[in-house]
Amino acid sequence: MAETTELQQPKGVRGLIHRFYGGAPLLGILLGFLACTFWENIIGEALASVLLLPKMPILFGLVTMSKVFAGLFNLAIKGSPFELFTLIHVPMALIYFGVVYAVPLAIVVRLTVRPANAVARSLQQLPLIVTALVHLGFLYAIFHVWVELSDYRLITLKLTLIAVLLTLSLNIINGYMGEFSCSHPGFMAVGAYMSSFFTVGLFVNDKVLGEALLGIPLAFLSFPLALIFGGLCASLSALIVAIPSFRTRGDYLAIISLAFLFIVKSFFENMQSLGGARGIMGQPDWASLPVIFIVVVIGVWAINNFVNSTLGKALNAVRDDEMAADAMTVDTRKTKMVAFLFGAFWAGMAGGLLAHVLRFINPAMFGIQKLAEVLAMVYFGGLNSVYGSIVGAVSISLLGEVLRPLEILKWIFIPLLLILVMIYRPTGLVAFKEFNVRKSFGPKEVD
Amino acid sequence: MKRGAFFIVSLAMVALLLSPSAWAANEIRLGFNIPLTGDNPDVGGSSRNAAEMYLKENPTVNVGGKSYKLKFIYEDNEYKPESAVKINTKLITEEEVLGIIGPQSSSQAVPAGEVANNMATPMISPWSTNPNTTLDRPYVFRGCFLDPFQGPVAANFATDELGAKKAAVIYDIAADYPKGLAENFKEAFEKLHGAGSVVAFESFTTGDKDFSAQMTNIVRTKADVLFIPQYYSEVPLIIRSAKEMGWTRDILGADAWGGGDLMGLCGDDCKGYYFSTHYAAAGAKGATKAFIDAYTAKYGKTPDDVAALTWDTIGLMVQAVKDTGGLSGKIKADRTKVKDALAAVKDFPGITGSMTFTPDGDPKKCAVIVQINDAGQFAFHKSVCPK
Repeated sequence: MAETTELQQPKGVRGLIHRFYGGAPLLGILLGFLACTFWENIIGEALASVLLLPKMPILFGLVTMSKVFAGLFNLAIKGSPFELFTLIHVPMALIYFGVVYAVPLAIVVRLTVRPANAVARSLQQLPLIVTALVHLGFLYAIFHVWVELSDYRLITLKLTLIAVLLTLSLNIINGYMGEFSCSHPGFMAVGAYMSSFFTVGLFVNDKVLGEALLGIPLAFLSFPLALIFGGLCASLSALIVAIPSFRTRGDYLAIISLAFLFIVKSFFENMQSLGGARGIMGQPDWASLPVIFIVVVIGVWAINNFVNSTLGKALNAVRDDEMAADAMTVDTRKTKMVAFLFGAFWAGMAGGLLAHVLRFINPAMFGIQKLAEVLAMVYFGGLNSVYGSIVGAVSISLLGEVLRPLEILKWIFIPLLLILVMIYRPTGLVAFKEFNVRKSFGPKEVD
Repeated sequence: MKRGAFFIVSLAMVALLLSPSAWAANEIRLGFNIPLTGDNPDVGGSSRNAAEMYLKENPTVNVGGKSYKLKFIYEDNEYKPESAVKINTKLITEEEVLGIIGPQSSSQAVPAGEVANNMATPMISPWSTNPNTTLDRPYVFRGCFLDPFQGPVAANFATDELGAKKAAVIYDIAADYPKGLAENFKEAFEKLHGAGSVVAFESFTTGDKDFSAQMTNIVRTKADVLFIPQYYSEVPLIIRSAKEMGWTRDILGADAWGGGDLMGLCGDDCKGYYFSTHYAAAGAKGATKAFIDAYTAKYGKTPDDVAALTWDTIGLMVQAVKDTGGLSGKIKADRTKVKDALAAVKDFPGITGSMTFTPDGDPKKCAVIVQINDAGQFAFHKSVCPK
């Protein structure tokens, strides 16, 4: 009897983590992270100097460690000088991570298992929206406290959130719809340009787009309108690519959508009224963390609902067998069209946010490189999965930051990782996993 | 218990003494926001080469009677605007640099300059030619002259020395730098010779390899001079195409000809032509020659203009740090002091010419016209200074 229960439990480190946190609801874990961020705000600086670290480790100590490895690597390859003293940073960063994150998280999660479960249970009686808002409130609080310590964290977090939205929007087409579309950076470009056209054109004195048309003090309230305008324009442009190309599938659609990407890029390069190759700068600084957080949350919510709806299921049917789906009374053409436009809309929103975070866009940003980046995020994280897109976007963004000191080695390491993922998990890390909102917010009973 | 507390406190104090952050007061940290990977790694490579050479020659700086160790921090911006913004933030908040050198290209320098200006950190872009990089940003400077200056230099040279009355231009419409320069040249040339004197204004798109259609048009117009404001990697193809189509007259280039290995790619085809640039490697004298010799000895190739401009930019930054007359150790106050000193720099003797900043943060400096001689060297022909 004991043996069978043993077999059901995952073994090793994963099993250990599973047993330890398994009984804690999401609420408890969020609480634990919130405690960690506050704890870091209090002791981070002092602890770092006690641990002989030059500066507080900013991304969980990972950058600190990767810098040491980069130093060692340069010593081995080019013989550049290496300060032996910095070797100590590796264990110290690990200790820092343990003291600031791992241990407090474990303690808080463990201590709050019972109360958190009780709260989660009572929250479950309330409408889903209330439960969701409570959890999201905690999540935002974690982000807010975490970025207080450094602007670098802030910009990294902002761009990561935008990457999540973008990846998810591409996953609708490449994952749920099962087509290989390459036009996503193009939609993003349309969204970025059109929302910038809206905000810069109306509210900013600009050399390219001329004097501000309106000088309203509460202009930032129109930012959602600008984003939606960008998203709608992206949808509209998606219609242009969808109408002629949906007679084709597979490789042909990939080629047509790639052509679309180039058309968009060339279009903006040649549109002198939108800045041409020099792009548009001076977007108002409206994309603050709460704004991005809200937009991304709404995006994730909308996309999750979309893919779980009848239309989303029809989309999966079209992916698996278009003819069978047609026979089963699915309007395949409409389904594909709606999904394509919906994906483009959110890509446009992501583009609009990106434009207002960087406060600069040019056509060269939305080229093949961007495409490779988003595709990597989608396929790394997992097809046909909201979880997967979040995992993919966050891990690729984080890896990019962490491995930056390794310079050219980074571009060996990340592709290698992708190859390994494709070999051992051909559909990505967490593919085909449904995101059950109500269940993930619910309590978890301890035996 | 008491003993334990004492032990911890003393450990902390020892740690504080030992920790590098306690020594950082004797260090001047400069950040480099350069593309070490991505589309244009040569640009980052040249910048780092110049910086490493500078560091070897000047490991310490004397500011207000106190000696500081120079420390350079290189970060890779992957030739992407997002990364350039991230890195500038990282250099400012995490590495706590006193000033930033880079990014080299305008598409990264424009957004990165915004960050540097907002966070009140002096930044000098050695190579960015887009006016927006420094416009209305008191903390942002640049190390090179601008296209609105270079365009007229080329137009005047074509008129005065080549006797041109009709000019043709071929440029990449999708790239920021060639397009800006082509337009500036056209404007200046038409001011001298009247509207319509630029008889052909042909464009192509980045990555194009076949220019025969444009060249046919250009040759048919019988222009006196052809202006090619393109990068070194594209110039050979364009020139070969022009020759194949029967172009025999003069060709004029711009400073991007001098970046990278033009002669290796172009061979004999480029000899005899002129271009305007930041400095002339062949026949250089004094500090410029010393720099070129040292660089060639160390890296086995002649320094391109990115290397030379980066060298000057570091020199400018260090000069400004010296001019502050002493650092307080409070990074924010020191950054503002450095910015003020940068704005006040007068006639800095750089290897690419003497530099003084205008209130916009752009340097007033001379352009050099070089001719590619028969030995394949860029020989000094003439220096043109702003009035």
